[in-house]
Amino acid sequence: MTIIILLSIPLLACGLTALVRTRQWMETIHLVSACGSFAAAVFLAGEVLRQGSVSMGNGFLYADHLSALVAVLTSFVYLVCAPYAVGYFRRDMADKILAPTVDDAACLGKLRMYYTLTPLFGFCMFLVVVANNLGVMWIAVEGTTLASIFLVTFYGRPTSLEAAWKYAMIGGVGLSMALFGTVLTYYSAHQALGGDSVSALNWSVLVLQASHFDKTVMRLAFILILLGFGTKAGLAPMHTWKPDAYSEAPIPVAALMAAAVLNCAIYGLARFYVLTVLCLGPAFASNLLILFGLLSVGVAVPFILVQRSSRRLLAYSSIDHGGIMVLGLGFGGALGALGMLLHMTFHSVAKPLLFFCVGNAQQHTKSDSLQKGAGGLIHALPITAPILLLGALAVTGTPPFSMFQSEFMVLRAGFAGHYTRASIVLVACLVAIFCGFFHHVAQLVLGPPQAVPREVICKWKTYPVIGLSLLVIGMAFWLPAPVYQLVDGAARILAVPR
Amino acid sequence: MQFWQDSQFGDRMITLMAALVLVLQITMVTQRWLITNIRAFALQSFLLACIATTIAYYNAAPHIYIAAVFMLLVKVILLPFVFERLVRRIEIRREIEPLINAPISVIIAGLLTLLAYVVAESFHRPDEPMGPASLGHNTLAVAIALFLIGFFMMVNRRKALTQVLALLSLENGIFLAAISLTYGMPMIVEVGIFFDVLVGAMVLAILVYRIRETFDSMDVSRLSRLKG
Repeated sequence: MTIIILLSIPLLACGLTALVRTRQWMETIHLVSACGSFAAAVFLAGEVLRQGSVSMGNGFLYADHLSALVAVLTSFVYLVCAPYAVGYFRRDMADKILAPTVDDAACLGKLRMYYTLTPLFGFCMFLVVVANNLGVMWIAVEGTTLASIFLVTFYGRPTSLEAAWKYAMIGGVGLSMALFGTVLTYYSAHQALGGDSVSALNWSVLVLQASHFDKTVMRLAFILILLGFGTKAGLAPMHTWKPDAYSEAPIPVAALMAAAVLNCAIYGLARFYVLTVLCLGPAFASNLLILFGLLSVGVAVPFILVQRSSRRLLAYSSIDHGGIMVLGLGFGGALGALGMLLHMTFHSVAKPLLFFCVGNAQQHTKSDSLQKGAGGLIHALPITAPILLLGALAVTGTPPFSMFQSEFMVLRAGFAGHYTRASIVLVACLVAIFCGFFHHVAQLVLGPPQAVPREVICKWKTYPVIGLSLLVIGMAFWLPAPVYQLVDGAARILAVPR
Repeated sequence: MQFWQDSQFGDRMITLMAALVLVLQITMVTQRWLITNIRAFALQSFLLACIATTIAYYNAAPHIYIAAVFMLLVKVILLPFVFERLVRRIEIRREIEPLINAPISVIIAGLLTLLAYVVAESFHRPDEPMGPASLGHNTLAVAIALFLIGFFMMVNRRKALTQVLALLSLENGIFLAAISLTYGMPMIVEVGIFFDVLVGAMVLAILVYRIRETFDSMDVSRLSRLKG
């Protein structure tokens, strides 16, 4: 029942927003639906912790620890984006970016687009994690792309059309490969399972039979799935849409894409990874994942070192973190899976924080440049700027922040799995990324001051930032026991016995 | 027994139609007029719907009929209609300008078909008399060829709308693979995929229109301001 509620809240919000006429109502509905989704996801996680797994409608919808964890993370990002979006778009309206005059029909149309498409976006992400049928999961992943294309073109600039076109085309090709992979998985399972067509793509059914699958077909299927969901997760070399889309979309959308969609794509990949390991043994899938993971972390290095825009910097950081998660999965074992899921959890808290800080700075200084002349934010933004510095430390994996623990765990898994060379390359890349990222952010925050006035504190935009920063600090020292149980349970699903 | 009830006849019909589908795909590679391209795509989709119907008839798999109907409605009637209207509305006068010229494109398409046959060969199980392997050997190769040539077309073209067509023909390849390998996906998945294809094509059509309005061109090589 909780699953149905989780799915219906965003749909309901989408429908209601299309009907109401005033901005206040849209904002209220959005905030309420975000809180509701988060509550539903937490309840679902509670049920999963008590019962092990929850399923609905003959196993059509299914949630285990892994789905519950990703659902909680997704709804968390959705929750923190909601109040920020309210403040962010009010500021855009005041700056006359949405439309030439304040609060006219054109402005309202734009806002309506955001407040209807974002819940739809959220719905698709929730469907990704609770769909048991791998085909339905694919449909939902494609749905996230379709729902977000017009969010990328939100500002209607020529560059945002360009970003949306790349996003749509690269995403479309990638996902068609994932669909082919799904078809082939179905085919390789077809003979093992017989002709039962309704449940034959259900993950919970497939995982019991995976060792009997056709091995040649499964091998091809996993390659296609990795390319497909890897495109969605922005793994190199299919990452090129990511910096463009993140720098053109409104900040709340970029945060959702960087923290929530990334998780969903990695989640889809992980589901197929389990099947592949059961069918083919760990070596094949692990080597591919390590290859793509290292490539992503490696590609991020030069672009982070010479980056000129703060939002593209965050995009490359997100490519890097996607790579680390995939590496954790590829290194395998209980340690690798645990490291990957902890990394996912911490990343989902830290990345929105950075996007919000950068969004505040960009709205204040009207630029996302990192070049000379853009610096000294600490004078103009006395609250956002120090938190940006803190977030940068957290996201680059500096101790004592929690991402240090998860990255360290991934590395330990790498050494334990005898992937010594890959682990050494990873350490080198992480150090280089730390230097580049921290250099840019420190320059931005502490550099010579610009001639901009002090910010007027906007509650909607500042409180989410403060709240998230407290959470980032808190999580460095303490992870609540139920969250850890959830992560641990999810890691057990991914750590397939070898 | 009438001749059309013989499953041998069905096999041959499917192979024949699959061959025509491949021919149409290669036609699309070389064809320079956008309208002709759209019509070739519609015809290709129609042949796929026929293949689906044939497979449904010979294997008594009623849910494939539904897939065939969806194919007919979405890709044969609705999308070509929308695209032709779009072409007329934005008044595309010039033809498609591929990056690689026609003769070399055909050679590349031929090589890709060869590659598809090599890949499909690894799926072939001569010892299994029943099941997809007996029926789908040629068809699967055609499906993979459609997929690969679709890729090539996407890279080879500069106009936004022709890239959308290439993406859709690539999806046709997946459809053919799905019906020839497993007699279609589960019903709900099939419906969902068609829904996604429909919405996706509509979204892309709107995007094409807006690109045309903003840049006064559909040439995607002009979309090159975002770098680094």
